[in-house]
Amino acid sequence: MSRIRKNYENSFAHRFLVFVKGDKPLPEEDHVEEWKHRVAEVKETERAENASYLELAETDPYEDAKRFAKMSDMRVFRRIYYVLAMLMCLMIIGMLIMNVAYMPAFGSEDTPTNNEVAERYLEKGSEETGVVNTVTGMILQYRAFDTFGETNVLFVAACSVMILLFYKTEPEADGTEKRKRKKKAAARHNDEAVAQAEAAAETPDGSVTAPSCAWPQGMQEKETEPERDIILQNVARVVVPMIFLFGLYILLNGHLSPGGGFSGGAVIGAGLILYNAAFGFRATRRFFDEKVYDIIKVGSLCLYALIIAYYLFTGANGIASIVPLGKLGAIISSGLILPINLLVGLEVACTMYAFYALFRRGTF
Amino acid sequence: MEWVRFIIGSLCIVCGLLIALIAAFGLFKFRFALNRMHAAAMTDTLGILMVLLGLIIMRGFCFDSLKLALIILFFWFASPVSSHLLAGMEVEISDRLKDNCDVEETERKGGVQ
Repeated sequence: MSRIRKNYENSFAHRFLVFVKGDKPLPEEDHVEEWKHRVAEVKETERAENASYLELAETDPYEDAKRFAKMSDMRVFRRIYYVLAMLMCLMIIGMLIMNVAYMPAFGSEDTPTNNEVAERYLEKGSEETGVVNTVTGMILQYRAFDTFGETNVLFVAACSVMILLFYKTEPEADGTEKRKRKKKAAARHNDEAVAQAEAAAETPDGSVTAPSCAWPQGMQEKETEPERDIILQNVARVVVPMIFLFGLYILLNGHLSPGGGFSGGAVIGAGLILYNAAFGFRATRRFFDEKVYDIIKVGSLCLYALIIAYYLFTGANGIASIVPLGKLGAIISSGLILPINLLVGLEVACTMYAFYALFRRGTF
Repeated sequence: MEWVRFIIGSLCIVCGLLIALIAAFGLFKFRFALNRMHAAAMTDTLGILMVLLGLIIMRGFCFDSLKLALIILFFWFASPVSSHLLAGMEVEISDRLKDNCDVEETERKGGVQ
């Protein structure tokens, strides 16, 4: 005796069966009604404007699902896809585990990583690179190429942010053009006194007529920039020079104590950001505008590339480096590691500040 | 002498840790942002002071102690200012400021950041 259940369509068993078969549930009646109603509304209001959208909307929203459900072959294929995907995963896992079996046992003494590389770094590191801080010697001398790649990543990241967010600095060009036009107009009217007076007024203080800042039109600095906080300004006056000094200390002592290019550059970049937050973009632009940024960033990367090229050339040809290593432990020692640290630090500081400035304002 | 220094230093460190613990408790206990900030700023000033002072006492008079003292100085500069800026921001944008604390209406020139 079988019992016919009421409300079978909503029961768990039916839904589970539909799920297993891979059918998509058919649309409910009132849902379709509602859809048609909405389509009619849209038709009335926006017929003329977007005809293509209406054509899309006129079709049955569930047509695809229905057609897909009719193709029972697809269900079989879907099973096969599942099985194949599973098999692929299992195969890859098996291959990886097989590879693990070929590796030397964990912690065994006679693996190369345990007895050759680290020992070499620790024993000969100071001799060969002239650094006290072995980590710096490793990342800047033994693995110089890797660090060069990291610096390139920073450069490319800042460049792509600039491409995405850089606000075009038009006002400068506009200002000069306008000035020329004004002069021309004045000359045309034989009113040279006015033109001269204007030129005299403009030339001594170029920043008045050709603003180096580029705000979106109709927007002043006061609208986008918050009011400067006097407490923050007074503290920044004391702290910012300290931060710069500390960053330089970390940079210059990269081969003697923990630190180096990346951390020192981050400290200097943080100092720049603090100065900017306290005194605003107008003050920061006095010593760090777009031109300085471009020069420092591109210049330091190019110099670094030159140094790396020198390393590669001497290393590949078996030539000894002519740069003396100096006395172990002195500030000026360890060959090219000190300049590399400085260059990397400049690069990192520029990148940090550029991210801050670009995300906050869109330009420098 | 060494023992006395060690005991005093460790007492200072334990004191700082207790303060940090109380601050962490307050951070989760309070509901209003300004109250919670008060609790959080405790760690940055008093907690750090006690812990680093303990370390200085244990270390004695040398270059490392000077570095630790500079760290204390930096934190005492930086932490209150950042708290001040955050509090100003909270006052500017909070909708339920009057529900949570007494607000005295004054003529204010401009606003905090």
